[in-house]
Amino acid sequence: MRVVAVSPAAAGRGLIGLTLADARVREPDLITVKHDPIADAALLEWLADDCERYSPTVAVDPPAGIVIDVTGCRSCDSQGKLPEAVSRRFAQHGITAATSEANTVDAAAALARCAGGATVSALPIIALRIDAMTRIALRRAGLVTIGALAAIPRAQLAARFGEHVPTLLARLFGEVDAPLTPRRPPPAIAVEHRFADPVAVTAAILRTLDKLVRSAATMLEQSGAGGRRFETTLFRSDGHVARLAIDTAGPTRDPHVIARLIAERIAALSDPLDPGFGYDLIRFAVFHTEPLDALQLALDGGGIADQQVAALIDRLTTRLGSGRIRRLARGDSHIPEQASFDLPTIVKQVWPMAERGEPPLRPLSLLVPPQRIEVMAAVPDGPPLWFRWRRIRHDVGRVEGPERFAAEWWRRPDGRGLTRDYYRVEDENGRRFWVFRHGQYGVEQAHPNWYLHGLFP
Amino acid sequence: MSRFAELAAATNFSFLRGASHPHEMVATALALGHVGIGIADRNSVAGVVRAWVALREATDRLAATGKAPIEFKLAAGARLVFADATPDIVAYPATRHGWGRLTRLLTVGNRRARKGDCLLTIDDLFDHLDDLLLIVMPGQCPHDTLDRLRTGARGRVWLGQTMLRQGRDQRQLAERAGLAGEYGLPLIAVNDALFATAEQRSLHDILTCISEGTTVHAAGRMLAANAERHLKSHAEMARLFADAPEAIDETSRLLARIEFSLDQLRYEYPHEPTPTGYTPQAWLETLTLAKARTRWPSGIPDAVMKLLDHEFSLIGQANYAAYFLTVHGLVAFAQDKGILCQGRGSAANSMVCFILGITAVDPAKHKLLFARFISTERREPPDIDVDFEHERREIVMQHVYERYGRHRAAIAATVIHYRPRSAVREVGKALGLTEEVTSRLNSTVWGSFADRHDRERVVETGFDPEAPEIARLTEFVGQIMKFPRHLSQHVGGFVLTDDRLDETVPIHNGAMPDRTFIEWDKDDIDALGLMKVDVLALGMLTCINKAFALIATHIGKQYTLDNVPDDAADVFDMLCAGDSIGVFQVESRAQINMLPRMRPREFYDLVIEVAIVRPGPIQGDMVHPYMRRRQGLEQPDYPSPAPPHDPNELSDLLGRTLGVPLFQEQAMKLAIVAANFSAVEANQLRRAMATFRSVGTMDQLEVKLVGGMVARGYDADFAQRCYKQIEGFGSYGFPESHALAFARLVWISSYLKCRYPAVFAAALLNSQPMGFYAPAQIVADAADHGVEIRSIDVNASAWDNQLEAVGDGFALRLGFRQITGFRQVWADAIVAAQPVATIEQLARRANIPRRGLDLLADADAYRSLGLDRRAALWEARRTPAKALPLFAAAEAAELGVEAAITLPAMTLGEQVAADYQTTRLSLKAHPMTFARAGFADEKVSTCAATTATPDGQRVRTAGVVLTRQRPGKGNAIFITLEDETGITNVVIWARLFEQYRRATMAARLLLIEGVVQRSPEGVVHLMASRIVDRSAELDRLSADYTPTLPESRGLEPLHPGYPQTHGHPRNLRILPPSRDFH
Repeated sequence: MRVVAVSPAAAGRGLIGLTLADARVREPDLITVKHDPIADAALLEWLADDCERYSPTVAVDPPAGIVIDVTGCRSCDSQGKLPEAVSRRFAQHGITAATSEANTVDAAAALARCAGGATVSALPIIALRIDAMTRIALRRAGLVTIGALAAIPRAQLAARFGEHVPTLLARLFGEVDAPLTPRRPPPAIAVEHRFADPVAVTAAILRTLDKLVRSAATMLEQSGAGGRRFETTLFRSDGHVARLAIDTAGPTRDPHVIARLIAERIAALSDPLDPGFGYDLIRFAVFHTEPLDALQLALDGGGIADQQVAALIDRLTTRLGSGRIRRLARGDSHIPEQASFDLPTIVKQVWPMAERGEPPLRPLSLLVPPQRIEVMAAVPDGPPLWFRWRRIRHDVGRVEGPERFAAEWWRRPDGRGLTRDYYRVEDENGRRFWVFRHGQYGVEQAHPNWYLHGLFP
Repeated sequence: MSRFAELAAATNFSFLRGASHPHEMVATALALGHVGIGIADRNSVAGVVRAWVALREATDRLAATGKAPIEFKLAAGARLVFADATPDIVAYPATRHGWGRLTRLLTVGNRRARKGDCLLTIDDLFDHLDDLLLIVMPGQCPHDTLDRLRTGARGRVWLGQTMLRQGRDQRQLAERAGLAGEYGLPLIAVNDALFATAEQRSLHDILTCISEGTTVHAAGRMLAANAERHLKSHAEMARLFADAPEAIDETSRLLARIEFSLDQLRYEYPHEPTPTGYTPQAWLETLTLAKARTRWPSGIPDAVMKLLDHEFSLIGQANYAAYFLTVHGLVAFAQDKGILCQGRGSAANSMVCFILGITAVDPAKHKLLFARFISTERREPPDIDVDFEHERREIVMQHVYERYGRHRAAIAATVIHYRPRSAVREVGKALGLTEEVTSRLNSTVWGSFADRHDRERVVETGFDPEAPEIARLTEFVGQIMKFPRHLSQHVGGFVLTDDRLDETVPIHNGAMPDRTFIEWDKDDIDALGLMKVDVLALGMLTCINKAFALIATHIGKQYTLDNVPDDAADVFDMLCAGDSIGVFQVESRAQINMLPRMRPREFYDLVIEVAIVRPGPIQGDMVHPYMRRRQGLEQPDYPSPAPPHDPNELSDLLGRTLGVPLFQEQAMKLAIVAANFSAVEANQLRRAMATFRSVGTMDQLEVKLVGGMVARGYDADFAQRCYKQIEGFGSYGFPESHALAFARLVWISSYLKCRYPAVFAAALLNSQPMGFYAPAQIVADAADHGVEIRSIDVNASAWDNQLEAVGDGFALRLGFRQITGFRQVWADAIVAAQPVATIEQLARRANIPRRGLDLLADADAYRSLGLDRRAALWEARRTPAKALPLFAAAEAAELGVEAAITLPAMTLGEQVAADYQTTRLSLKAHPMTFARAGFADEKVSTCAATTATPDGQRVRTAGVVLTRQRPGKGNAIFITLEDETGITNVVIWARLFEQYRRATMAARLLLIEGVVQRSPEGVVHLMASRIVDRSAELDRLSADYTPTLPESRGLEPLHPGYPQTHGHPRNLRILPPSRDFH
């Protein structure tokens, strides 16, 4: 295990990159938390959600960066002090953020990463996002700061380090556009309402939403279009962001229809809207628009069975809840009860065909748990001669076996476990049973128990 | 009543399938009371010799206790696994002829496949059917195959059947019985055993996981369902085969048909070198006498003649003439090609070998008696290892193949075993532990020499040894440790035969093209009494040859191994002063410390010097007594036996070494003379020493040796020490016969170093990799001896390091080969293009790609073009890979003139760091210079100051770590530190080491606090009491280091986490190469 990140208190001690054991040698009192990149990514997304209050165009820059495009956004608290505002807001979430604002994405990111730099030129070249090889080559050339690098004619740089170095510089200085991949496509239409104070009363929220829907509907009408996807975003003052999306089968712009759908959506929420300390911003956006008078496409004829099954499963799942519809899958184990298990979703599984002429070695279904039986058998490893199950004695007429399964030693701390000898037996009435001896006689058990594990049809 | 014998037993030579050693299989079969066992590995007979040896030893033990011999037969065969649809067939040769067919069959399959594989088809078997007994294993066998087998091998085919408790056993048995009846083939019971006892199932599961590259948790049904495939008792097999008892009886019947045993592999030495009309003995005598007459044209001296007569009779008695002739053939070939070579080993120290040119050690001059090294009664195979120049040995090896043919000559195998590192890694992976955990566990194994993986090591890494996963890992690692992993070729042991070698043992393709090797290793060959010639590679011979060539070119003297004067006071003076960096064998730190105490003044002193600093004498506590006697502090005394025996029996044996046994031969002789060992017992001792694996026998030998010596009236303490030393030889035995040959090379290399330091340094650098020291030390040492060192330059250097005349001496011009990653073709092209005026010109004329240009810039080799490292790098980087044809035709500069820019000047520290990163040495400054100011503030003394400090004073000193060694029993760790003033030898006791293990093992720059200890001879050691890792000081030099940047998420770590702690000291890097060099 390696140290990937440290707290401010541990910063500067050279721990990052060390193996945990090495780090412990250096700092015996180290408190460690397991690195959870998925949770980190989720946190970043959560923060990015919160940042959408500043602009709908927000991009994440993993592992720990967020880019907000504030071009043309009049809605910020105060344009000039946006970095401070973001830092303050993040501090409320308990997150230390290095923020900066610049004319280009690259410059802003560079400044933020190397906190403390006043200008881009003063930054070390590590702030430039270039591969390690080029970076070392630049250092070899004695070019330590971006300023020093920028002073070299671009053509000379390109000739030596490849086109990407001048390109990066050009992006840094805003000479070319840097591509930005926002987290969600920018909506076709977005209207928002910012409350002076957070509002916690549901009725007031719905009223405001209603207003927003109507103004969006008006805008749709003006452009002769209808929406297929509508999204309501509720920004809570503590950073929580609730998103309610509705899709319609066809384009629509009827505010009543939309409002009703939203109301249904809210009613169907498994955990109802919780305004907490109140919402301070509501945004209503229309994502997918189509000309309203367009005809709905006809379904292509002839459904496929698979699709119908899938559709059925979808419907059942919607009605009964996810995870309620299950399908058997094959388990990769010799141990009978682990040889199959059920999965919540549809996993295509091909079961092996039984060999022709060979009777099945195992019954279709197992008794869980296996039932104790009383057995008379020859020691040490003979088959059962008769057995008693539920107080009825069955004399064994025919028998085949044993099929022996040793225990999975790696699952047990002691590395042991009992071996099972399975027999397929037929009693005098022709009924067939699957029974096993649990433990090898005299080796693992003084007197092994016997169990019935299944019945053959 | 006939009893069961398992006839399909695999061993762990069925790699990753069998989970028991051959000897475990044999021992278990014996314990179960079986009547025999058939060892059949997958397309291989690699394990049968070991099984055979195990059986022989068990029989010997039984005979020793006086019990009646047991009826037990070992069937040696192979399980043929086919590439087509045929089920496996187990084949046992019934006769010696059958064995030849089997080995040829396997050879066909091996030679067809890539290394380590064997591709067989059923038709191959039909081509080699003679005298093979065949068991067709369960599985769908095509009917025509059965038909052809039935007719082709009438009466020699059985249908094997297993009862492995898989549910359908009885039904399958019945079907199989039906098939057997239909074809008239007998059914035979086998259990297809993969391991000896049921307990080994879990180990087998681990092996399966390793081979499938998965973990036990994920392997699922790839693992066996149960533990049935072990050796089972007769009673259990009889129960399982209750429906077909005749199948059990059939096992004894098959065994009875086998007449072949491995004893029958008689060996015929090639008679090639003997012209027709001569016996080998006659030809050897004729040849030797003819050569002697040329050496002594005025008549062979009487003493020599007497010696020769005696040797001829010994060689005649033992019938070794052909062997000597074969070795002479190789040596003559090498000499013809101008390849230096020298023989060593018991038979090499003879007048015959001296006259034939096999050795340069004159036995008459050094009073060596051939009889001392060879014993007729022990019937040891003669032993001559021949060392050749390491760069040109391949030529000799190919000559052997060419001369004897691939069907008669092949290299012996080396069985590659699991080592602690690989075992921990692979078992850990199979158990589902992450790479981090296993590499962590591996991180503290000392070098690659540790052969144990024990609890303390686990604790040290911070894991709980009691945790189930870790405990399991430790247990499996312990079991798998001595498992063979694959076969590889021996470094140079050739087995040659008079007729087809592939009728004795299967032959494989080597990994290298044009190499073939046999399936048995040197222990197997030894056990069977086959003979081999070792064609070995020795770097020092390359170096000496290059030095001779340089001397011939620049100075005009012609030297050979023979004619280097063997007495020169100044050379001995140099050695006495411990000035031996680069000298063969005596250049290690321990040797350098020993030299001033030893004060060698004659050749034999060097022989002792070579042998004394070894685990054997050290563990036997023989070094100090010898040194005391040598320095006259103690009288040599020869322990005597009690009265009835000759009181002087040891003074002959130990006289030369002042009564202290130092050599392997002395230890062996001691056992025979003083402990009254029989020849057979002495042979056992030798075997036990060679393969320390049979631990049990060693204990018995201890009782016998110590008991025998005490019984004859020797001091118990002396006897115990003798045993200890023999035990020490087990791991690193050093025989006098080898020390003699090595001592000659010690002398020659010392002579060169003393008289021609520039030549010696150049030759040493040009022969890298070899020796003990990194280029920086070799160069620094040459500079210390007054050699001017000139840096690498595109207009002056060649690939090799060269001599440039200055005044009446020579300066050393470093060559391009010192640049890590540079290629010889580029260097040769540059030499052809010299002189050049610009980088572009160089690139065009010599056609050097960008990478080469960059490397030259990084190595600061453009100074003669007026470009320093940084400017050159800037220029080199813009030189395009290919010239445009038009410009090329005109040889005009294609690159335009650029606007001049000024790059920041490179600091000296950066320059030195870059020097070390590219060439691992710097002529500009020592890295420690830059840390000096800081260290001076901390009151850290220089190495020179430490060396000058009086005995017993406390000092703090710092330096880059040159070597770390933990010799012998590991009570102490020796570290050599170097700074700009010299070196300091640090001793760290094991206890302290445990405390500072990490710093000691990982640091590149160490600060040591400790007490100076000065020996009477003036050797200074610093006994450490505190150790601090200051490697960070080195990183400060490097341009890659940016100390001001805050650490933060999203940036790569600035330093590699942990430097490599193992590997040869000469490969050590004080500064790790930048990542752009890969």
